[in-house]
Amino acid sequence: MGFQDEYDAWQAAVEQTVQKRPERKPAFVNHSDIPVKRLYTPADGIDSEEAYLNKLGFPGQFPYTRGIQPTMYRGRYWTMRQYAGFGSAEETNARFRYLLAQGQTGLSTAFDLPTQIGYDADDPFAKGEVGKVGVSISSRLDMETLFRGIPLDKVSTSMTINAPASVLLAMYLVVAETQGVDWKQVSGTVQNDILKEYVARGTYIFPPKPSMRLITDIFDFCAREVPNWNTISISGYHIREAGSTAVQEVAFTLSNAIAYVQAAVDKGLKVDDFAPRLSFFFNAHNDFFEEIAKFRAARRMWAHIMKERFEAKNPRSLQLRFHTQTGGSTLTAQQPDNNVVRVTVQALAAILGGTQSLHTNSRDEALALPTETSARVALRTQQILAYESGVADTIDPLAGSYYVESLTDGIEERAWQYIRYIDELGGAVAAIEQGYMQQEIHKAAYDTQMAIERGDQVVVGVNKFTIDHEPQPELLRVDPKLGEIQAERLAKLRQERPAEACETALARLREAAEGTANLMPYIVDAVRAYATIGEICNVLRGVFGEYRSPIF
Amino acid sequence: MAHPIRVLIAKPGLDGHDRGALVVAQGLRDQGMEVIYTGLRQTPEQIVATAIQEDVACIGLSSLSGAHLELFPEVTRRLKELHAEDILVIGGGVIPQEDIPILKQAGIAEVFTPGSSIADMAAFIREHVRQTDDLGSAPVSVPVNRIDHIGIAVRSIQEALPFYTGQLGLAAVHEEVIPDQKVKAVFVPVGETDLELLEPTAQDSPIAKFLEKHGPGLHHIAYAVDDVAKALSAAKAAGYRLIDEVPRDGGQGKRIGFVHPKDTHGTLTEFCQRVHEHEAQRG
Repeated sequence: MGFQDEYDAWQAAVEQTVQKRPERKPAFVNHSDIPVKRLYTPADGIDSEEAYLNKLGFPGQFPYTRGIQPTMYRGRYWTMRQYAGFGSAEETNARFRYLLAQGQTGLSTAFDLPTQIGYDADDPFAKGEVGKVGVSISSRLDMETLFRGIPLDKVSTSMTINAPASVLLAMYLVVAETQGVDWKQVSGTVQNDILKEYVARGTYIFPPKPSMRLITDIFDFCAREVPNWNTISISGYHIREAGSTAVQEVAFTLSNAIAYVQAAVDKGLKVDDFAPRLSFFFNAHNDFFEEIAKFRAARRMWAHIMKERFEAKNPRSLQLRFHTQTGGSTLTAQQPDNNVVRVTVQALAAILGGTQSLHTNSRDEALALPTETSARVALRTQQILAYESGVADTIDPLAGSYYVESLTDGIEERAWQYIRYIDELGGAVAAIEQGYMQQEIHKAAYDTQMAIERGDQVVVGVNKFTIDHEPQPELLRVDPKLGEIQAERLAKLRQERPAEACETALARLREAAEGTANLMPYIVDAVRAYATIGEICNVLRGVFGEYRSPIF
Repeated sequence: MAHPIRVLIAKPGLDGHDRGALVVAQGLRDQGMEVIYTGLRQTPEQIVATAIQEDVACIGLSSLSGAHLELFPEVTRRLKELHAEDILVIGGGVIPQEDIPILKQAGIAEVFTPGSSIADMAAFIREHVRQTDDLGSAPVSVPVNRIDHIGIAVRSIQEALPFYTGQLGLAAVHEEVIPDQKVKAVFVPVGETDLELLEPTAQDSPIAKFLEKHGPGLHHIAYAVDDVAKALSAAKAAGYRLIDEVPRDGGQGKRIGFVHPKDTHGTLTEFCQRVHEHEAQRG
């Protein structure tokens, strides 16, 4: 009997079984509405050597489906980069040193909301928010404290900062200067992805056009002055957290990336000069195979986009490098220890998907910022996967899985449909202005909520397997007095700094903002003169205006 | 219930995570409620002002940034200050169990953390919102002389005015900008009553919000009274909610005060008192 006959015979046998004993659900569909078949066979996957070379290729080779490096984790593990930051610069500095001492290999800085929206800690808008979701940074003095005793030529630092990314990058560079570190040796990432702020995260300051200018200014400046800096981390993470499906996460992120590349090209930058420094940031949720397939699909799609759409030549321009964070919104306040297990599954998916760096969430994050103990367990989760599980010993071990390859194709196909539609709308910026992405994400978020309320989607400990009495874990508390302490420090700084130099630097920045010059050097000068983030952003607010989100 | 329950979903502070707020807003709509969403980055003052202006029965506050202990109680405090504490306030977001008693102490009726169902929230709101038809029945009269003016919201005075001055043959007699209200007003007398055309001068002007929601049209009716302060306190004593507890300055040098439209069956009602003699004689 041939393959087809054997298959048909099996099908017939299954039909009989199902009649007697029905399956758990009438139809199996994943969160992206991709039907999940009962069984996958060679007919669904890579069925020839030619198909293999076209769709997969070898690791480190186009289209990079199996990974961007030729040996992947056999050479070096992913960077274990835990996002951390709370309270004052002193407290966060202590947490940084703790995590480095525990074997973390890169820093990732969380800033508080006033910093992220360009307000000083003593601004009325900062009331109640200082130091809450991240560290409070108002001036270069705070930044110096944050990295005290941490040599900036030895660590790579990721900063989750978007609207005022230029200001925080400038502060980081000025701190490097004071440490005597050459900018050419400085490495790290600014998230610098404003489009997803309009779509999903809400920490925007300026309207889209000047925001895009600030971003391309960073591309241009770093290509010349800070060559090892990752100038943007184009983020699907927040899109997913806002409720999107995995397919939407890939599609909207790549659409935004296309908009950034196009903006830089339109500005006259050569694609191969800046594209190697673009990086991505994805989410890892619970649907294990869907997540793995998502990462592989994204890599393949980006290689095609850069090669065919932007005619990039440098192989590094074609490689989608990405950081992954496990899904914050999948964590539950109920039975928080269960979150350790969720995070493990998600982290494993990210590793099998070939991530370059990983943040594992802490079990108590649905309740508050992580305590030191819970942050350590989260880091240990990565270390156990890396050093004990053996999953990093071969490259892309799930390649050739009939299911994973079929799902990778399925996600890619559906994501292209979105990208083509967004192109028709006039690109990502136009799509966002029309509220298209926002509405699609909201629909998906609402469907998820309803599926959970109906019980169609099980959340262990929430709508199934609940317990009556939830013991409450110990939580991290930020000093409510921090706002006042920071305000006093700022008052002192404003009194002691060279007033004239600071005013001149801000005046020159205003003039530059009104023209077309690259703003980075002016911002660096303002930071050198001890201008604060609020003062710098207020100058830019004055010239660019502020964005107000329409409600769709 | 004849009228749907009106709910304001609000995001106080700088937190930009509004997935929960948006999902709850839609969920409550699907539960038959009328829901208004404020958008991001609202101060407690703005939230309370919107709640009163929109005459909602319930405010749902959402915060994931850890600032809830400072921002939520500020909303209830402000409501109390404006004698609008009958508006039910509920909260949600990333809120530790141990904070919930503190919030309840501060007047937040219930806190819904992640994992709560929309059906439960809707049931709670239905059960706890004020009953709207229980105004005191004993009449306390408010002495009113005549209609002083009728306020009409327009997008552009320049575009609207020709209907009145051309078609109706009336004359515009006075124009002024009222900075407090962020409006430009033009007065067109008809007999002893003025029409007051109101055009917003800023996006966050109450008139701009009115236009956005209702489009141009009748905005309020102002009754001339001898003493605004007395008229306001009489209305309050009768159980009508006030927008202005104390008189403030209006156009043409008048002292004015507003009564809440919900308690006056949908019409925003103003009392006004002409304080300058020459103004009083003009019309």
